[in-house]
Formats: sequence, structure tokens, C-alpha cells
Amino acid sequence: MDKYRAIKIEKGSGGFGGPLVIKPEEGKDKLLFITGGGAEPEIVEKIVELTGCTAVNGFKTSVPDEEIFMAIIDCGGTLRCGIYPQKRIPTVNIMPVGKSGPLAKFITEDIYVSAVGLEQISAADDNAVPVARAEEKTVTVDGGERKFKYSADKKVSETLGETSKSSIIQKIGMGAGKFVNTLYQAGRDAVQSMITTILPFMGFVAMLIGIINGSGFGDWFAKLLVPLAGNGIGLVILGFICSIPVLSALLGPGAVIAQVIGTMIGVEIGKGNIPPQLALPALFAINTQCACDFIPVGLGLAEAEPETVEVGVPSVLYSRFLVGVPRVLVAWFASVGLYS
Amino acid sequence: MDMIVKFAEGFMGLFDSGAETFVSWVTGIIPRVLLLLIFMNALIALIGQERMNKFAKICSKNVILAYGILPFLSAFMLGNPMALSMGKFLPERMKPSYYASASYHCHTNSGMFPHINVGEIFIYLGIADGISTLGLSTTPLALRYMMVGLVMNFMAGWITDFTTKFVMKQQKIELSDTL
Repeated sequence: MDKYRAIKIEKGSGGFGGPLVIKPEEGKDKLLFITGGGAEPEIVEKIVELTGCTAVNGFKTSVPDEEIFMAIIDCGGTLRCGIYPQKRIPTVNIMPVGKSGPLAKFITEDIYVSAVGLEQISAADDNAVPVARAEEKTVTVDGGERKFKYSADKKVSETLGETSKSSIIQKIGMGAGKFVNTLYQAGRDAVQSMITTILPFMGFVAMLIGIINGSGFGDWFAKLLVPLAGNGIGLVILGFICSIPVLSALLGPGAVIAQVIGTMIGVEIGKGNIPPQLALPALFAINTQCACDFIPVGLGLAEAEPETVEVGVPSVLYSRFLVGVPRVLVAWFASVGLYS
Repeated sequence: MDMIVKFAEGFMGLFDSGAETFVSWVTGIIPRVLLLLIFMNALIALIGQERMNKFAKICSKNVILAYGILPFLSAFMLGNPMALSMGKFLPERMKPSYYASASYHCHTNSGMFPHINVGEIFIYLGIADGISTLGLSTTPLALRYMMVGLVMNFMAGWITDFTTKFVMKQQKIELSDTL
């Protein structure tokens, strides 16, 4: 009998991807969860029970990528949902989020499943074939191989551009071609992020604004918001609240809360309820918690050691707290003369 | 019956006002942001990651370079989240501080350069939209957002140096100071 057992994870309602059949292996048996403020989602316990793996809280410590057999996240679709798929680590998202965010292209059905709750997890029979971790995509330069003049994966024009150094016309032609292609690719990427990220958010916020304004809830909300965001002192208080350690980590995910509050403040500025020069301190006040939920992942991107993550998480939480109110104050000061 | 009609009309009305907002954003914000995005993406592709890496190595020598200039350029060149990865060229003890500064840079510069943080752009756009509604230009706001950010993000990194020292003492962990 194997020490580890395979499980099957399906997508929940509104979810995307899967089903994934996953099995931990010797040396690759860590279940990493990085979820809002470091709270343990209930599915973690079930997965540990079923598979016999070890759960690791990514908020407290970090694990080398090679040891992770699965990552659990609760990303609302801005960023984190793409990071582990990019590394080809099977990813379970508790939120019902599909291909989204700047790393959307890495989120595919064979590596990612979302809207997962307790019911979506079941033991797989031992014959099921686990998802093989696809080969890491690395660009290798084959230097030793014999060089053919024309290769199957290059156009003739590219080969000519590489081999002949003499013709200036060729060089100019190739250069221009490359330049235009770079621009074209830039356009593709930009349109892609428009579609996967900006438009959905615009739609969601526009609908929210419609409901808030149309239902009369807006007036009520404005009464709540204007005293807080309508003067400098209120903004300092708002900034202070957002920067309180641990609370800051809970407010962080996807910057969704900050973005919605920002839009609300924008609406009130547009109506004239909040003076326009306060836009500057408001930008800082609603975002003093910036990226507090993301510290372990961000440090991981910087290839930090596990000890650094252990120290870094509280350290950044404290520093956010210390620097939060001064930021709003400086911004308030710097807003003198803006739009007057 | 009238009641139901009224209710249905009210229900549809909720979405009418939302749809108006949506259309004004799509026509007002998207074209400009899209073209800026294309330009920035192209510029970044032309400059290349290699040159950025070289520069990052130089920056580990000095606090102002490491928490002031490097995060700004990384955010500009790589955007969120990859800007955070440039911390790998710094010693372990400086990584939390770099993170503190770079993650702020992914926001404060997004008014001038929206390509930096497309996913979270509405923190800025939401507020700036109110300014546009009043018929004012958003550029002064974006510029001041960036300038205040430059100073205060550096401060955020620098203060994190102290909190890191404090937490290291608290947890009795020593992080390496050299590369």
C-alpha cells in the first residue's frame, strides 16, 4: 500500500478547469495554501486526510517549488490565480475564477480548477492516472548540434537574416520586420489584457454603480463615505484602518475592495460632494494595505529563502502600518494647489 | 398588475444607469489606455529583460538605488507582479524592504503608466473618473500621485529595513546581509 493516495478534484458551480487527479509523491508531498490572511480553508483538512500529504501555510513559511504537489489559493482573478499554473503546479482556486489576470494564458484546464469546496474533492481509485507535471518550459540553446542552413522552425527570411552579415538591405528589412512584429505582439498582449482583465472589471463595477445609484443605496452609502473621505482627517483615519496589521492582509486580495471604494469616491467627487483636490490623499488612503496579502508570493518571486519569508511577512505588515498614515499626510500636504 | 410593471421597470432601471456608466468608460477610458498599453509593451520588448537584470545588480549597493530607483524602473519595465521578482538580485535582508517599495510602485505609477498594473488600475481610474466628470484634467493628479509615491515608497522600503531588524531579533533569525 502506497503511503500517499490520489484524489480527484472537480470544478464547483461557476468554476473552471479540471477535473484534476492529483497524487503526492515522496519528496513532492507539500500542499501549499496561500489564502486570505493565512486562514486555513476547510478543504485543506479533507485533502490532507485523503492523500496523506503535509499542508503548509504559504503565509507563514515558504516551500521550494519542487516539493509542492498542489497549491490552494483564493484569488479573485487579478494575479495569484496565474502564478502557480505558470510554474505548472496544479492549482486549486476556492473562488469561481476562470482564465483571468495578467497571467491568464497559463491558466488551463489541465493544471487549474476553481470554485472548489468540500463536495468537489473525492478519493480517486488507485488506477487513475495523476496529472503529470508537464516539463518546465525552458529555453535551451543547443550549441553542440550540427548547424543546418535552413531549419524547419524558421522562415527562410529569418535564416537569411541570421547567416548573411553582408547585405545592409537584408538587415534593414529584417530589423523593420522585427520591429513591426514587436509592435503587433504588443498590440495582441494589450488587447488580451483588456479583454481578460479590464473589461470584466469595468462591467462588474458599472453594474454595481448602477444598482447602488438606482436603488437609493448610493445616497445612504454617500452619507457614510463622505464624512470619512470628504476631508483630510477622515482620509487619515481611513488610511489608518486599512493599514492595521492582519486586517490589512484581509483587505488586500485582488485590491478589489480598494478598487470598489476608489470608484465610489470617484462618483462622489464627480457629484461635487468631495472636493477634487482630496483625490490625491484618497488614492493613498484607500491603498495603505497595498499587497499585504501577497507578501509570501511576492518574496517567492524574488527567490527569497524560507527564513526571509518568515521574517518578511510580519516585517512588511508592521512597516505598512508605520508608513500608512504618513503617506496619507504627505499626499494631503502635496494636494495643496491641486485643482484650485 | 401595475405593481409588477413598476417593479420590473425599476429593476431594469438599475441596469440602465449602470450601462450608461459602462459605455462612458468603454468609449472614454479604453481607447487611450489600450494605445498606451501597446506602446509600453512594445517599448519594454525592445529594451529587453537582459539590460534590466544588469541594472538590478548594480542597485544592490545602495539604499536609494535599491528602494527608490530599482523598484520604479522594475515596475515600469516589468509591471505587476514581475516587478517584485527583481528583488532576487538583492541580499536576503533587503528583500522584504524591496517588496514593500516595489509593490507600492506598482500602484503609484499606474496613473501615468497604466500598463504597470492593468488588473488593479481601478484604484486610480475610479477616483480619476470623478475628476474627469468635473471636466478637469487628470494629468496633474497622476503626476502628483507618482511624485508623492516616489518619495513615500522609498520611505516604505527604508522603514521596512528597521522593522525587519526588529522582527529578526524577535524571531531570533539572522538574515544574510551579503549576496
